[in-house]
Amino acid sequence: MRPKLRPTAWDGLVVLCVAALALGLAFFQWQSGTSAGELTAVVSLDGAEVDRFAPADLLKAPRTYANNGYTLEVMLSMDYEHPASSALPPSGASGLCVARSDCPTQDCVHTGTITRSGQSIVCLPARFILRLEGGTAEDDGAVDAVLG
Amino acid sequence: MKRFAAYVFLLALLLTGCGGPVDPDTAQESIQVLAMDTAMLITTYGERSPAAAYACEDVIRDLEAKLSRTLENSEVFRLNAAGTLEDLEAELRTILSQAGYYCQETGGAFDVTVAPVVSAWGFAGGDEYRVPSQEELDRLLELVDGSAVKVNGQTVALGPGQSIDLGAIAKGCAADRILEVLQEYEVPRANISLGGNVLAWGDRPDGTPWRVGIQDPARVGEPNAFAGVLELTDAFAVTSGGYQRYFEQGGKTYHHIIDPATGHPADSGLRSVTVTAPAARKDDWNGTMCDAFSTALFVMGEEKALEFWRERGAGGTFDLVLVTEDGRVVVTEGLADRFTLDETSGYALEAASQ
Amino acid sequence: MKLTTKQLTLCALLTAMALALSYLENLFPLSLAIPVPGVKLGLANIVTVFALYALGPGEALLILLARCFLGSLFAGNMNALVFSLLGGLSALGTMALLSRRRGLSLYGVSIGGAAAHSCGQIAAAAWTLGSSAPLYYLPVLLAVSLLTGGLTGLASACLFRGLRHTDLMKG
Repeated sequence: MRPKLRPTAWDGLVVLCVAALALGLAFFQWQSGTSAGELTAVVSLDGAEVDRFAPADLLKAPRTYANNGYTLEVMLSMDYEHPASSALPPSGASGLCVARSDCPTQDCVHTGTITRSGQSIVCLPARFILRLEGGTAEDDGAVDAVLG
Repeated sequence: MKRFAAYVFLLALLLTGCGGPVDPDTAQESIQVLAMDTAMLITTYGERSPAAAYACEDVIRDLEAKLSRTLENSEVFRLNAAGTLEDLEAELRTILSQAGYYCQETGGAFDVTVAPVVSAWGFAGGDEYRVPSQEELDRLLELVDGSAVKVNGQTVALGPGQSIDLGAIAKGCAADRILEVLQEYEVPRANISLGGNVLAWGDRPDGTPWRVGIQDPARVGEPNAFAGVLELTDAFAVTSGGYQRYFEQGGKTYHHIIDPATGHPADSGLRSVTVTAPAARKDDWNGTMCDAFSTALFVMGEEKALEFWRERGAGGTFDLVLVTEDGRVVVTEGLADRFTLDETSGYALEAASQ
Repeated sequence: MKLTTKQLTLCALLTAMALALSYLENLFPLSLAIPVPGVKLGLANIVTVFALYALGPGEALLILLARCFLGSLFAGNMNALVFSLLGGLSALGTMALLSRRRGLSLYGVSIGGAAAHSCGQIAAAAWTLGSSAPLYYLPVLLAVSLLTGGLTGLASACLFRGLRHTDLMKG
């Protein structure tokens, strides 16, 4: 069987289908990802939730998780976009990242910082997921902000 | 082939680029910023919401880098170390002038030169909490005098031995500058929560006012335990309360709002003071005013606070919600129909009028 | 499926080449530029595309299975097997179907295969982690697969053009 070597209009259709799928999924995640309320970090190992905390809880100390023979360290990330503020140790932070991992792929470390609800960091070798979730959805009884 | 490459390139552009106009009611960016010793939540709406939210973060970090008393190289740190600064930049000059003005207005109940006393109690951050001796407080109280801070052109000079702490208005200043950012980015609505300081900009996406809960000082550990809920649009709101930071020693509780007159934690019969003011222009400095007044009125106590409001709060310049130690919530006229008491709190609601 | 000696030799040769390409692309990890787990160039896909056209779907499947098993074995990481298998099988399946469509060129087939590979890998990740969290990466992976698929398509087109006058193509 001899293949066609030059792109055809039908190829464009394949490209469009893939692009539409990617855009559709991204849009769906964008929609479901941005909810109001306090950000909560959820850690699961082997598919089971093991920890749930507010990102600010990491101000004092990073947290480590061990699973499947690997150890990961989750911490508040320094803000690389504002180098000046990296001189402010506890407060120059705006998101979560995996600071260290002894896994072979290092994808979790390379993923960098996550800041928004719906974002996650996955480490396949350690079967580890760190996911940010928005807390309460806006309903009529709830407040939008708290003074105090 | 070239055509194909161009095709792929175009699609890649399409994928990374935007997908047409965004509905201002749905586009939203929420970021959390940890600064000024608190967790801040910034939620902006509109087409330019991500850029606006990150510009807000920049403003906060910029102010923190200038106003922090503990960061070396901050303007305030340098001022405290040297006693005088000759190259003071315009913004800090304005903030110091505002601080001086509020000090004068409140008869010294708000005073940035109370810093040495606050440090002695261990509330300046980093130090251990302790109860200073009366002799030590008497000695330090001699340094407390806001009128001794002189701002002259680009030069600012403290009195001998004085140091200042702008912690009581830093978040208010941030709120003022954020207001400017929101206007610059044409943000239609935003919900800015800076740890005890709220800027309710525009209205909620459903067209109703932002709902801002005032923490019930008696039920601090519980989530959603409010003294009541304020409905705010285009407004600053700041709460100061003795429950926010405190320590216990020998069976007594010592909180972080120090009365500049006595050097001790203010004991005025109030558990918290909330000050609200309209948010219209940065140059009003209403956010900073709310922050300063909430501290000052907490020190003054109910009677003097209401008197202060009757003299200066006319026409809705600012309004108050006072939570007293004897279980009452006093709300001033301008907030009467925008405040809803939380029935489960058990407080008695009182209205104060001109 | 009865293999002639020549076909068997070609299969073995292609397996070795696929393994070499997998190793090669690990030297230039695309995930450094696009930090998403599972992002890679997918050079070994060139071999699958070639085998699919030059030999046929059955032979391509044999080569793919051999490549996945040997690759995981060499890497000493049998955990990776399920990922490369699921990814590779969905890519091969999709390309086998797409290659029957007369209108499609190598580019369309490669891009479809790359996209299917991403889906397969994400499915494997979701399955092993027992969570839908990996789905979060799928849009990015799909977008990247447009580019990597286009690149492998280009590489295979060059390959076929170069081999046009040899008797390889007649099998």
